[in-house]
Amino acid sequence: MQPLARRAGRTIEGVPVSAGEDRSDVGRVMAGDVSAFEGVVRRWQGPLIHLAYRFCRDRGRAEEMVQAAFLRAFRALAQWRGNSAFSTWLFALATNLYRSELRRIPANTLSLDDIPEASDSRTTDDALQKEDRCRAVRRAVHALPPKYRDALILFCFHDMDVAAAARSLGLPEGTVKARLSRGRDILRGKLTPLMGAPRLKEA
Amino acid sequence: MRDDDLDRILSNEDDLSPSSGFTASVMEAARQEASTPAPIPFPWKRAIPGFVAMAVAFAAAFVSALSYLSEPAASPLTYESVRAALAPILELVLRNGVGWALVALVLSLVLVLLSRRLAGARA
Repeated sequence: MQPLARRAGRTIEGVPVSAGEDRSDVGRVMAGDVSAFEGVVRRWQGPLIHLAYRFCRDRGRAEEMVQAAFLRAFRALAQWRGNSAFSTWLFALATNLYRSELRRIPANTLSLDDIPEASDSRTTDDALQKEDRCRAVRRAVHALPPKYRDALILFCFHDMDVAAAARSLGLPEGTVKARLSRGRDILRGKLTPLMGAPRLKEA
Repeated sequence: MRDDDLDRILSNEDDLSPSSGFTASVMEAARQEASTPAPIPFPWKRAIPGFVAMAVAFAAAFVSALSYLSEPAASPLTYESVRAALAPILELVLRNGVGWALVALVLSLVLVLLSRRLAGARA
């Protein structure tokens, strides 16, 4: 996976080049040129689908949620004041919608107690074991209570950037750090047989 | 598994490409949205006199209640006094059929709530 800025487009000294394009496209849409919205959609559909998939693990549903997010953004374009990056505003709006959708119809996940334990490393092939571990970790994350799950998903999606995750969630950074820590504690408890090391990295 | 493994596993997911036609589908929905007439805004200018009248009525009722409570001995709350106070209102209600209007309003409210509940259960 690429970091958000790289996935969204090019950057110059850390500032996404798409910021100017976003501003220009939004200005044209506000002036009545609906076709200018296509630029916004093309730039951000990939990252938004990727994030939606992380929440629901269902490609079809992810695309539906992204379409709903774009439509909501289209309706609310006038509310973007321009004092923050368009991407920040768009991701906060999309995250909010994804979380509401998952509250309405939860993703098809198992409870933490149903997560299968890791296979015996002496009897399985390395690649298979690695795949098993990845699957078990992802399942465990999805079985977390939503507030810890959302913080972890966004933290990892934003390339370990707590500030970006906090902006998407509309929460203070301290709250997000606390949720990451608590989420990891729960995961550590469940995945101890899988981990081998006693401590997971702190945010 | 090392300390960083959780972050690595959660970060290293393959990028998903949108399915073909996704952009066109979003743009079609956006164009449809743009061609839909804007919802009629709430008529604040017309509603303001009503809100002001309501506020005045509440304030008057509040002041009356305060003055009544401040002099309990002068006007004790009895069944007769309450009945006497309500008599003109009841007479007005009975004479103008306001009771039936209230019944119709309550019935409408119940029907609206019931239909919303049924629609919500089906969605």
